[in-house]
Amino acid sequence: MKNAPDRQAAQPSRRGFLKGAAAVATTLVAPGIFLYQTGHAASGASDQVRWGLLIDSNALTEADVDACVTACQREHGWSVDSDSTTDAQWVRKVRLEDRESGHRIFLPMMCQHCESPPCVDVCPTGASFKRADGIVLVNKHICIGCRYCMMACPYKARSFIHEDLKDQLAVAPRGKGTVESCTLCVHRIDRDGTDAVPACAEAVNRGDRKAILFGDLNDANSEISRRLRELGGTRLRADMGLNPGVRYQGL
Amino acid sequence: MRVLTYLLRFTLLLSLMSLAPTGMLRAADVASSGFGEIAIPNPQKPANAEQCVEPVEVMRRDHMKFLDHQRDATVVNGERDSKYSLVGCIDCHNPAQPSAEVIRYEDPRHFCAECHAYASVKIDCFECHADRGLEKQQQSRLDPAVNGWDTRGSALTASTLRRRLESSQ
Repeated sequence: MKNAPDRQAAQPSRRGFLKGAAAVATTLVAPGIFLYQTGHAASGASDQVRWGLLIDSNALTEADVDACVTACQREHGWSVDSDSTTDAQWVRKVRLEDRESGHRIFLPMMCQHCESPPCVDVCPTGASFKRADGIVLVNKHICIGCRYCMMACPYKARSFIHEDLKDQLAVAPRGKGTVESCTLCVHRIDRDGTDAVPACAEAVNRGDRKAILFGDLNDANSEISRRLRELGGTRLRADMGLNPGVRYQGL
Repeated sequence: MRVLTYLLRFTLLLSLMSLAPTGMLRAADVASSGFGEIAIPNPQKPANAEQCVEPVEVMRRDHMKFLDHQRDATVVNGERDSKYSLVGCIDCHNPAQPSAEVIRYEDPRHFCAECHAYASVKIDCFECHADRGLEKQQQSRLDPAVNGWDTRGSALTASTLRRRLESSQ
């Protein structure tokens, strides 16, 4: 009985709850018909935008692509041991070589953030999902680590974490038994919006020459849309009709 | 009639008197049993913080509900400006230590672990999330200037500048 006053104090005020419930905006549509709208913060992913990347391979040297990978590792705290075949790899360096002429180009390859992502189609738990703003993510709270998405992804973008991890970064929680991939630096996007610069872009962009350009594909006036309109951009494996949010120039 | 009323009152008084010592006896029983030997956890409040995001009584009961709700809002909808944030809990309740000592969740002195061990609660938050605050240097991982790595002239955005100004104050 000694604890009784404490327990009572622990009850959140019922009146406060009712007050909160009453603070719901109502709109009269027609006599007797109301539209109810609960107050919703303006923050969070908007379905008005679709984030994408435009990667100009002409502006990227091999060292630049290495810098992309390193920047992503630093940002999210993943790494690849030279002798490991199972370590996570959010972004990898791809070399395209024309055997006849010997011409080489280097690309960073990461999750392409498809409009119709096959990884989302196959996920049995709904952990693999596309956010309202087009970013394809893994909700690791409900990922069971079945790795169907890894098999479904034609870009080999996803990795599975096989080992216990320690000292993960606050911006990139990662743990054994879940699948992960490029998040398009979603923590930066949620913080900076259109001003956001993903870590890989930050590592290679020099002044106005943006080898990796981040922007809103839905906004016709954004720099990424303008450059795509003027110079075009390649969707990797466009034949599959996935409409990736990451586009390449100079392939 | 009057006699009957007196009798009733007397019986009532007797029964009350007989109950009182029983109650006292019970209290004494509890005090002498083994319960006193289990140390009730008393996690220390952060030294530099005045008030948690909710009153202590609410946090004791409902912190897991706040966190559970917020994790979905953050992961699925990208809502990151809520006052309920696991990173916020850790930054305040298990900040980076000035010494080299790192208190992890496995350590019974960890703020979360103190009560969870007592209440036999098993959580898996810290299999993925950081269980201790990060040093300033690590926290500013997002800021290339603090990190000291070469951004090769990438544009300084207005929001970055604003944040830097705020953090330097």
